[in-house]
Amino acid sequence: MDFQPTLPIPISFISGRYLLFSIDFVTYLRREHNICGVLTGTLPQIPQQNVFLGLPLELMPEEARVLVDKGVACIVDEAKAHQGMQSLLEEDRRKYLRELESQGLHASRIFAERKGQKKAETLKKIAEKKAKGKAQAKPQSEESVNAATATSEPSAANDEPASVVDFFAGDTPTPSTSSKGTSTGTPAAQAFHVTPATSYPPLPDPTTSSELIVFRPDVPSSYPLFAHMHSRGYFLSPGLRFGCQYVAYPGDPLRFHSHFLVVSSEWDQEIDLMDIIIGGRLGTGVKKGFLLGGPRQAKTEDGSEIERTESVRTFSIEWAGM
Amino acid sequence: MADADEDVIRAPGADTSQIDTDLSDETQDFRLLSHLNLYVPPTLTDTTSTSLPKRGEKDFEPNPTEFQADVLSASRQAMHNALAHPRIHNTKNRVIGIYAPDGPIFPDGYVETPKDVGKGVGVAPDCCIYIPSAKGSVFQGIGQADRWNRLWLLPEEALYMIERGSLDIRWPTSMTGTTEEEEGDLSIPMSLQAAYACMLGRAGLTMERYTVYTGLKRLGYSVFRASGWDDSAKPETPTTGDEPDAYTEPRQRGPGLSGILSCIANWMDDPFSTASPAAGPLVGCGIHRSYGDVYRRMSLIPWYDPTLAPQRDPLDTIAPFRVVFHVYKPSTSVKRSALPSPDFRIAVVNTREQTTIPTLPQLSALLQGTPIDPPTGEKMERLMYMRLRHGYRNVVLAVVDQGVSSFLRIGDAAFGKEKMYDSKNAPRGQKKHGNYKPRKR
Amino acid sequence: MSLKQEQLPDLELSALTKLIDSASASGNPVDATTIQVLHNLQHQHLWTNLQIHNLAAPDTSNDFPPVRKLLSGIPPNRVYTHPDEQLYMLQKGIREDELRPERLFVIPTAQGQPWSLRRMAFAFDALNDVEVTDDVNELKGPEVDAEKSKVLDEYYEKRTEAIATQEWGSKRMLLAMVDKGMGGDGTVVYYVVQEGEVKPRQN
Repeated sequence: MDFQPTLPIPISFISGRYLLFSIDFVTYLRREHNICGVLTGTLPQIPQQNVFLGLPLELMPEEARVLVDKGVACIVDEAKAHQGMQSLLEEDRRKYLRELESQGLHASRIFAERKGQKKAETLKKIAEKKAKGKAQAKPQSEESVNAATATSEPSAANDEPASVVDFFAGDTPTPSTSSKGTSTGTPAAQAFHVTPATSYPPLPDPTTSSELIVFRPDVPSSYPLFAHMHSRGYFLSPGLRFGCQYVAYPGDPLRFHSHFLVVSSEWDQEIDLMDIIIGGRLGTGVKKGFLLGGPRQAKTEDGSEIERTESVRTFSIEWAGM
Repeated sequence: MADADEDVIRAPGADTSQIDTDLSDETQDFRLLSHLNLYVPPTLTDTTSTSLPKRGEKDFEPNPTEFQADVLSASRQAMHNALAHPRIHNTKNRVIGIYAPDGPIFPDGYVETPKDVGKGVGVAPDCCIYIPSAKGSVFQGIGQADRWNRLWLLPEEALYMIERGSLDIRWPTSMTGTTEEEEGDLSIPMSLQAAYACMLGRAGLTMERYTVYTGLKRLGYSVFRASGWDDSAKPETPTTGDEPDAYTEPRQRGPGLSGILSCIANWMDDPFSTASPAAGPLVGCGIHRSYGDVYRRMSLIPWYDPTLAPQRDPLDTIAPFRVVFHVYKPSTSVKRSALPSPDFRIAVVNTREQTTIPTLPQLSALLQGTPIDPPTGEKMERLMYMRLRHGYRNVVLAVVDQGVSSFLRIGDAAFGKEKMYDSKNAPRGQKKHGNYKPRKR
Repeated sequence: MSLKQEQLPDLELSALTKLIDSASASGNPVDATTIQVLHNLQHQHLWTNLQIHNLAAPDTSNDFPPVRKLLSGIPPNRVYTHPDEQLYMLQKGIREDELRPERLFVIPTAQGQPWSLRRMAFAFDALNDVEVTDDVNELKGPEVDAEKSKVLDEYYEKRTEAIATQEWGSKRMLLAMVDKGMGGDGTVVYYVVQEGEVKPRQN
């Protein structure tokens, strides 16, 4: 069953940024609300590379705002919430530590199991190769055994494309790879220690505490166009790589190429025609459209962007090829 | 009619692959990581590995097929699994750090002797995590040791280490409280979220700076704070305005004494030339023996010579266009106590706060705060374009847009220094025997 | 300059300059741009049946309309085909040169001319009121056999429907920009602009 969180989801507001630390929330927002954010953290299992990144997930203020306006999320002042560490109840503290211990025990058991399996596989492979070598009775049988052990050493990486194998070249001092490969006798004797991803628990649910909930996110003037595109089902990412404000995907960027380079303008804001040409040309070069748009409605005093979002008009621009 | 360049843009093969070859540019399929997952049995990952997606194997648009939905849901599940991977510490090689919310502190029970008064803890005041009784070098190129053999970490160092699963940070018992006499091991581990809440925004550590820091650390670079880290830091001696002008005038134009002398010198050198360009043609009648002389006469426009630009204090700059990181290539061995000159100097720019490209004064100040780094070496001497690209000063701008970063190298190029008419610079090869050469198709 | 200006010989003005001078008696730069684009469409891109459409001022605006003139004409080849339309044509075995020619509208602009979303929207809204007088004979497609003719009829029917539902893109025009900056060389570039989010072509 897909995970259904209790709404609203707390978005951590830390140092002016909107961050998510819970993988369940990240998956949920992606699946149900077309919100991707940008992963900025290091993956502990494969830390020396930048291709695959991990938690936290950074949300644009626009993404946070869309979610807050829809009632899906609220913004939590995380530094303030963590002052709650000083007033934890003794009982909660103990309960939390016990829970972490059992998580650690579970992890160490699985780890030991996995190691046992790998070892058995390796031995089996060696044995197979040996048998083969003997059957053929060729002088290079010794070499083939060596080759077998050599290739099966990082057994998990065997069948992967080269780009992934490269990741193992860097030092990876996580426990899962740095511990000695040979049997140490009592593999599951001691529990691992776990660094949890979030602070809830032991801290109480922040969404119920009004003093932790902060204002609705401040958004740039391009927000109405963002909200318009989002309401049309597009997934939007920061546009730095293409020199635009947003990159719009017709579906989850995990599986789809983007369709538009998006740039917003106010209704009467002067646009240099050359910028339209530049955008159109750049887009066509990478098989994307250049999308220019913005709200007819000027900014309102109360800062509500709903009317503005409803008044958005957009234009798709491509090189005519003539 | 479309010109030739336009055809190239649309030609198959000249498509996106050339423009964005950086894998991190696109969202990659996390199924490539399934084999690394502790909680997914290898029997499951083996079956998926046979049909692993390759880069670029994405669809143009959603369609209502079940196949597409299945692939998407598998990709999302893989992403979920990869991101849910726990940060675990083996008891044997676990490194515990303790949070010091108020900065460096003395060990418990330490009484300052009169001799030590004013010495303090002896580490950077921005440090906020310490590793008690650190044996040897726990982390390469990270942390500063104090007199009590404790290793102190800056917020970005600690955050990076907890994030990659190499450090187990504990709340200080002074914050979470202890009721009974407990061993230190019953202190509460800090979550990743708590670490962000405590470290980010602390002592100038903005999210964009941290993003740049970890992005480089993950690739193996050594990264250290530069003097410009503190936005408000001012130079001790402000740069005065009377440095030599970097804009050089290639020849004297006014008569002046030296002008007259040089005219005479020129005349003796080449008696057939007309003396002053102000009164006549740049290249007068006479016998011209070399193109070099002719071109020299024609060079009227002043040009910028970076070697003459004043050296500025790196702090004589305004954020964000000031160097905040010194970066060393992975191959360079560095010790914090004796840092060599960095391989790269990096300024970090947040696109939401700085929406325009830097102005020339901002860029000049940034570059002049870096030392002269002229193009040297055999290759540079041989290849003019490489020299131009390298420039005489350089700095890297890390531009961060909501978690996505781009690195731009800015070099202070000296086109005026490359005299194209000098024989050593003259273009060689193809064009030597005439301009026309039928192109192969 | 201290040098004496030499007397220039009487050079003949270019054909384009003459055309612009004669056609836009007002000397208005917008009109000049329109003529220049028209000239370019006619002679470089071989468009036919070119027309100039004067636009009325909007009710709300008290000064001149943000866009005064549109151009339209019939290009020798299809300029734009929506990706889904292309797919349909591929499936039915229809080639572009079998289709009857089609009138396309153009917004003439010049580099440096002030532009905004309001202006763009005005041009698109004005499209509804533009009257076109087309010679029916000129819009005939090439002769095809009966079988093909049936396929084409189905296609035209589908197309009318797809235009109404915006399945094959939406209201579209070409944005023509004349290079006039820094004493520009008069190059005209053309971009397809469509209202709304229209997915890009993939070839």
